[in-house]
Amino acid sequence: MTARRADPDVTVVTGAAGWLGRALIAALSDPAGPHHRSGEIRALVRHRCDAELVVETATAVGHTASSGTRLVPVVGDVRTEAGLGDLFADLADQGAVDVIHTAGVIHPRTLSDLVEVNARGTEHVAAAARAAGARRFVHVSSNSPIGTNPHPDDRFRNDEPYHPYLGYGRSKMLAELRLQDEVGRGLDAVIVRPPWFYGRYQPSRQTSFFTLVRTGRFPVVGDGRQRRSMVYVDNLVQGVVLAELVHTPPGRTWWIADADPYSINEIVATVKAALGDAGFDVANRQLRLPRAVSRVAYALDAALQRSGRYNTQLHVLGEIDQTIACDITVARRELGYSPVVGLADGMAASIAWCVEQGIEL
Amino acid sequence: MKQERGESDPPTIVLPRMAAFPPPRLIAAFSDRVIANDLPALPDERRADVVAFAVRRIAGLPTFMRLGVGAVALAVGAAGRLVGPDRLVAVLAQRPILVVRDYVRLVRSLSYAYVWEHWPATAPDGSAGE
Amino acid sequence: MSDRAPAELPDHVDVLVIGSGAGGATTAAVLAEAGRDVLVVEEGAMVRQGDVVPFSLDQMDRQYRAGGVTAAIGRPSIAYTEGCCVGGGTEINSGLYRKPPAAVLDRWRRHHGVADLTEAALFDICDEVERDLSVQRMPGAAIGASEALRRGAERLGWANEEIPRWMTYTSADVSSGRRQSMSETYLPRATSAGAVLVSGHRVDRLVRRHDRAVAALVSDRAGRTSTVRFRDVFVCGGAIQSPALLQRSGLRHRIGRSLAIHPTVKLTARFDDALNVPDDVPVHQVTEFTPDLSFGGSASSPGLIALALSDHWSRFGDAIEEWRHLAIYYAAITGEGRGRVTAVPGLRDPVVTYRLTRRDAALLNRGLARLALVMLEAGATAVYPSFRNAPIVTARRDLATMQALFAITRVSVMTVHLCSTVPMGGDPARSATDSHGLVHGTQNIYVNDAALLPDAPGVNPQASVMAVAIRNARRFLDRAPS
Repeated sequence: MTARRADPDVTVVTGAAGWLGRALIAALSDPAGPHHRSGEIRALVRHRCDAELVVETATAVGHTASSGTRLVPVVGDVRTEAGLGDLFADLADQGAVDVIHTAGVIHPRTLSDLVEVNARGTEHVAAAARAAGARRFVHVSSNSPIGTNPHPDDRFRNDEPYHPYLGYGRSKMLAELRLQDEVGRGLDAVIVRPPWFYGRYQPSRQTSFFTLVRTGRFPVVGDGRQRRSMVYVDNLVQGVVLAELVHTPPGRTWWIADADPYSINEIVATVKAALGDAGFDVANRQLRLPRAVSRVAYALDAALQRSGRYNTQLHVLGEIDQTIACDITVARRELGYSPVVGLADGMAASIAWCVEQGIEL
Repeated sequence: MKQERGESDPPTIVLPRMAAFPPPRLIAAFSDRVIANDLPALPDERRADVVAFAVRRIAGLPTFMRLGVGAVALAVGAAGRLVGPDRLVAVLAQRPILVVRDYVRLVRSLSYAYVWEHWPATAPDGSAGE
Repeated sequence: MSDRAPAELPDHVDVLVIGSGAGGATTAAVLAEAGRDVLVVEEGAMVRQGDVVPFSLDQMDRQYRAGGVTAAIGRPSIAYTEGCCVGGGTEINSGLYRKPPAAVLDRWRRHHGVADLTEAALFDICDEVERDLSVQRMPGAAIGASEALRRGAERLGWANEEIPRWMTYTSADVSSGRRQSMSETYLPRATSAGAVLVSGHRVDRLVRRHDRAVAALVSDRAGRTSTVRFRDVFVCGGAIQSPALLQRSGLRHRIGRSLAIHPTVKLTARFDDALNVPDDVPVHQVTEFTPDLSFGGSASSPGLIALALSDHWSRFGDAIEEWRHLAIYYAAITGEGRGRVTAVPGLRDPVVTYRLTRRDAALLNRGLARLALVMLEAGATAVYPSFRNAPIVTARRDLATMQALFAITRVSVMTVHLCSTVPMGGDPARSATDSHGLVHGTQNIYVNDAALLPDAPGVNPQASVMAVAIRNARRFLDRAPS
């Protein structure tokens, strides 16, 4: 049984309006949920409209003014120190303060956003957290600084050499390195590396993924046996909270994912089945492309990024023949992490959420 | 399945000077220049020993490798006569070209192994240590 | 056991064994001890332990083929080493003993149809070999370079083991170790049981009449030739020479076409301690990524260190002055690619080629980077990867640069393990010999060395070669009582 700290008095969540951010806000403020905590939750968002979204997210799971949690949205921008505004203000007598940093950009509008938000943003938030005496800092990283597996049976161990995948990977690697610098200066920070997420609060790109699969147009490249680790949002929330509360030395990193990686064939088949079960019309056909297509897309993606530009579809196509698979044994052992939801149930729940939100798949 | 029924293989192709190809002179000249370029401070006597070793080893290469090295040596030798051997080697040592690269790498690996096995206190530029 | 003139070669024997390495020596011992009249013909010379410094250029001159300069041509070319001496590769290898993994035996049974290859039976033979070769761990502590590998792996939580070696020790001092190579063990057994061993002689070709081989054409170093007639022949020249000899003798079915190796890349690590031991090799291996990838230590004499640093001498050269603080380590993979051995009429040596696949290149890249991480965790103050334009790695962030700059055609790739060029198997269409080494379509030509192994075992192969060779030799005795 892993030793845990008590819940903090203040939890600072950056990127609160994002996919993981909303899931965390919901989990922490759901009065009936296993992660409910009383005390203050400061939610950093980029835009005023996001602040409303965050409040709605909490309300939708039953949060009320009297459920013990005080939700405080803060509008700001991680790209500058000043942009953090009041995020870390007035914390001196508030007790224990934990920070969960999820703010980041994956598919940027301009490439400079990657470094500005992912690397510099992390630097600013971490430095401010340390200055404010934060008790524990959880940084949400990615598989991208580690790259891709050399073959489908290879699994990333908990510690792996960096091999960042293009611009996003480099920015997330830089973020980790700068965070480790802050650890060296005394910040108790740890890093969670989640792979491809799925689940409630998913953004439009995931909706497009469902639509492509449904219509048989999601490309299965090569033989489809390449493996991808994925993480259902509830499993990830569990992992993040454990990383925050379980006693471990600072500077540790963990993969947080579903129990085992899935093959692309399996992912497509499972999603099709879940869509069918939910009453959608699912195409019988399936687009298959030779590996060479991904290799060409990758080369084009790399060239485009070198010239300062970015195209999401090209990027995704260039990665889809790769295996990105990790081993969660160390997270299980050191954090007591235990993913509960598997692909079939997770996809069913995601689809149900989309339907509930009126999202067209 | 069938095995070929032949009792003997086709007559040996006789290349009169194959055993002596490539000419040691050619290998020695090129090796000398590569080593002089890489390890400029290696004393002349020592360089001569190293070159002799490289020539011996190259003469002992499996036939097809020896022929390949020989062909490259001839081409490099010819280019050297056009461009000037020092300049050629300086260029090749910095920007190796495919097959020639393998040849340079071969000479290099033989030389470095020899120098530091025999004179382990040698400095990186070839000068005698201690 | 010295070089003999051809006039002194027997002109007729029961069994001719070609090659005196792990396969040939065990075959000769088993057959001679069963009363057969055995002649072992070895191309190389007899060199006693102690006559040469291990891993030196002198040893390479006297106990390796072509002075150790042999390569499989490809992009990149892959340097390999072949023993050429009495005792073959066993006289020059690391001596590390690894049983054939159960999963490998299973694959050989199921995928290659090798009959009669149960774990139980094969491991019984391994037990015998372990006794005969005094397989054991080192007395006392491992050398510093070995301990560093273990320490780095432990810090990462990666599986690692101390591998036993075939050695005898007369005291608790590790330098009293004597390698239990073939020339110290199975060859003296064979000759005591009446086998004749002739060195310095090469079998050029087997003479065949229909499906039987009847004689061997043998030449010595001076080029004098003679003929040895035999009832049965065991070709044990190793993964390169065995297929070449069979091809020169007109046998080609599935021969020389599926060369399998363990492609290996190296790096040099620098430590604050002066831990270099020039004539010994680490006994620890990192087994976390079995069967595809493994890490271990290599011979690190000053000449070999200079060689390892030579890929980027302009940046790495300065480190040679501190060679006492340096040690070389390797990352080896089980190659997915395959190569070819082709005897060319008129040329003495076969042409050897090998093609790495994209997966092999990616695995070598990440493998070398993982190894560099182990060394950083072990406390290495600098790591020098052996490829052109490699960066000096001193911190984790440099691992990203290292992997980005790794391009397989710039890397010094080598292998010390070669096999599968005359593969055994249950399906005649996909193998060169039957399940016990009898070449398909022949009555009396057997292969009994690493060429038989259907694919690379992912571990040091000598134990597998010996166990299979003993199994096959015993089967031969059962099938063909004299």
